[in-house]
Amino acid sequence: MSEASERLTGSTWDVERLLGDALRPIEPPERLSGRFEDTLSAVTQAAAEELSSWAEELSESELRSLRDPRNWVRPVVAASAGGVATGALVLLEIRRRSRHQARGGLRSLAGRVRP
Amino acid sequence: MSGAKENVEPASLDPAAKAELDRAFEELYRDHLKDVYSYAYYRVGNQHDAEDLTEQAFLQAYRHFDRARRESDGRPLRPWLIRIAHNLALNYYRDRSRRPQTPLDSADPIPARHGTEAIAEGREELRQVMEKLDCLGDDRRDALIMRFALGMDNREIARALGRSDGATKVLIHRAIKQLEEEMSDE
Repeated sequence: MSEASERLTGSTWDVERLLGDALRPIEPPERLSGRFEDTLSAVTQAAAEELSSWAEELSESELRSLRDPRNWVRPVVAASAGGVATGALVLLEIRRRSRHQARGGLRSLAGRVRP
Repeated sequence: MSGAKENVEPASLDPAAKAELDRAFEELYRDHLKDVYSYAYYRVGNQHDAEDLTEQAFLQAYRHFDRARRESDGRPLRPWLIRIAHNLALNYYRDRSRRPQTPLDSADPIPARHGTEAIAEGREELRQVMEKLDCLGDDRRDALIMRFALGMDNREIARALGRSDGATKVLIHRAIKQLEEEMSDE
């Protein structure tokens, strides 16, 4: 009996087995790790530089003021806003790339499994 | 990722703590890159966007890794990672306002795991099941991708989808049942 015909048990498909065959783990391309390391290193470097230049620009009185917990709300809000803005930048980047490439989901994968 | 000068949490740690955190993150990355990429690939359907989504998922993970580790209580972080990728994928589709329909010509074919003959015999069934899978609701489809492509158990899937264990078991059962019915209708 062929593997394909074994997948039918009576009138019921052995869907679990088909899914196991169809949804195989995908090996990521090797370049992805390098790309991620570059991005992460650029992002952390940029963040460190921002923090460092920000600290250098502060006067002594501003530093004293920052040590006062009553003044902590503003930096926290600013940092959160920075995070949100970054998220938006990241999404914009994905959006920009996706506009260039009209691409398919599982349907397109299915289309590439040619009989 | 131009201009991504973001608030990267680990940068604010002292050097020794940051080094330890980076080492742990590297391990997480090495252990789960394939999982996140596989999920992203089956979710968005092409290599290019899957790479973007994977990269974004790990960047977000890095940003919150310290806190996630503290709050995980020693539990595996894979569901947390997949949940990040899941949310990014939802945004990806929300942003595009529709699920993509156009086939790709630049993406690599699905890598073969079995012998050529076996694949040829089963291809029509595989094509059908992938098409039907694409028509399922988001959570049902995602749960099946997590189960079959990533080998996650019900508890892990529940954590990744933010559902209870019981609800996840029912979700997967119904998803498989729906696929069986739709395959039988063909």
